[in-house]
Amino acid sequence: MTQLPSIRGRLARALVGWSIAWAVAVAGAVWLAVEHEVSELLDDTLQASADVLGGLLVRGDAPAADPREANGAEPETRFAWQVVGPDARLLLRSRHAPASPLHASATPGFSRTTEWRTYGRPLGADGRILYVAQTREERREAQAEITLSTALAALAIGLLGHLWLRRRVRQELLPLERLSDQLAGHEPLQAGASLGAPERDELQPVHAAIEELVRRLALRVARERAFTAHAAHSLRTPLAGIDTQLAVALRECPPELQPRLRRVREAAGRLQRVVAALLALFRSGAALQRQPVDLHQLMSQLTIHGIEWEVLGRGVIDADGDLLAAALLNLIDNSLRCGAHKLVVDVPSPGTLRIADDGPGVSHERRQELQAALDSQAYEGRTGLGLMLSDLVARSHGGALRLPPAERGFAVELQLGEP
Amino acid sequence: MRLLLIEDDDILGEGLRDFLRVEGHTVDWCRSLRETGAFRDEPYDALLVDWQLPDGSGLDWLRERRNRGDATPALMLTARDRLGDRIHGLDSGADDYLVKPFAPEELAARLRAVSRRRAGSAGPRRRFGDVEVDLTARCAFIDGQAADLTAREWQVLEALVLRAGRIVPKSDLEKLMLGFDSEIASNALEVHVSALRRKLGRDLVETVRGLGYRIGAP
Repeated sequence: MTQLPSIRGRLARALVGWSIAWAVAVAGAVWLAVEHEVSELLDDTLQASADVLGGLLVRGDAPAADPREANGAEPETRFAWQVVGPDARLLLRSRHAPASPLHASATPGFSRTTEWRTYGRPLGADGRILYVAQTREERREAQAEITLSTALAALAIGLLGHLWLRRRVRQELLPLERLSDQLAGHEPLQAGASLGAPERDELQPVHAAIEELVRRLALRVARERAFTAHAAHSLRTPLAGIDTQLAVALRECPPELQPRLRRVREAAGRLQRVVAALLALFRSGAALQRQPVDLHQLMSQLTIHGIEWEVLGRGVIDADGDLLAAALLNLIDNSLRCGAHKLVVDVPSPGTLRIADDGPGVSHERRQELQAALDSQAYEGRTGLGLMLSDLVARSHGGALRLPPAERGFAVELQLGEP
Repeated sequence: MRLLLIEDDDILGEGLRDFLRVEGHTVDWCRSLRETGAFRDEPYDALLVDWQLPDGSGLDWLRERRNRGDATPALMLTARDRLGDRIHGLDSGADDYLVKPFAPEELAARLRAVSRRRAGSAGPRRRFGDVEVDLTARCAFIDGQAADLTAREWQVLEALVLRAGRIVPKSDLEKLMLGFDSEIASNALEVHVSALRRKLGRDLVETVRGLGYRIGAP
């Protein structure tokens, strides 16, 4: 069966896509904001550091050029500084500062070199200038750390949002699942049967459409039932009259007419069986009355003439007795018309009724052709009424008709499915 | 047997009447419930009732008869074949239920079966001393030899056998023999009873003076 698109799947995929796009967009926005804000913050720090350091240098409290902590370890610092004279000669520098001046000429204010971001602060009027600097790598690292952590936070929020929304979608789709379950167990023609109130506003049109469908179905079934009841009376009584008149005529007519009248009576009998089967089938959709059927008893009640029959084993099957009788009558009629003399009925497995005759049977190709017609339910012009009716009977029980190969004669299996 | 047939369909009703007459039964045929009024107090061996009649329900008519204490065997003849209908029909007083279309031979067999059971025997044969009566084969045997009975003699014998042990009024037997509207010669019944005694033994049919005839011990 072709896999249909799933609402839940489509919504889930849409949410994943939305979450990723949201995370990327947020990360991009954060990157732009962070780059600008962090640059400003670091520049402010450079400037503030330059102001503090410059004040100390002007007062003569210059910090040591090679500061080490008490234990001899180098302090963690993100800054470097240089004091450059008016002749562009390096006068003083921190340990991590480059050994050559950061700028070839005095460059006050913010500026950058290939590796450094600097802030130049003139020290008094003697032309000296203090450069407080930070490597550009350090600045990028700081920006990247902030951006990454922000992006991860955005991604985590996106993921959590995705999971929450997915769960929410599942919950919101639950009424659809419950409606499906209700429909599966719904008996629309049963008195008082109801789907109940819709759980969601969007399901109201679905409920309304189903109720309208049920109303039309009930109306149609009621009409069909009325028609079947009338048809049953209108057909059964004249058929009984014909048979009774023929029975009387057979007793009263001269002997030379009796064979002809007997043939007429046989034809009337076949007509009775077909009518009975059609009537039974016509109303079978409404209420299948499945119960254990004793095949010995059923066959005895079918008034079978012209063919021997035998039921093997216990001969009990779970089925609607009337429908099964209709199918059997038509299959027996088929066997009779094909010249069979004996029928064997048995239940080879639970839910399967097998009828085999000793007639001429059909070729392998013809049997396959018939089976294909039954499988596709394309009966018209391909199968006789008997096989069609029997297949419909089997299908009304949830099964199908099978034509298994037979060593001799013709065999039919009514697979009636589980009760 | 004397039968009351209630069937509104002319073809079926006429066919059944003729078939059952050929079978040796006496049949009064009504086409409606209204017509049955004329037969209200007649003694019948069995009733054949169509469910759906032009002026009402045959089942209601039967139920009303049962309420009056009438135990005459009754067969419903109907086109209604649903399980619920069959159960309803049998629960309402029918002894058997035959769905149309049916073979008249089957109807005759069911009639015999119902009547036998009402007479207290499931099997087709009843024994009275040296005489054995086969209700299905419509034949009587004395000391194992089949007796040669006329149709009228068989009618009288069958009616007495089906009511074995009970006194059957002469008037009932006369009506049984010829039907409601027919006339019968005043001594015809005595002639047939006499013939039965001659062919099957003097002790088989007992005359209960002033009341009627009886077969079998009370």
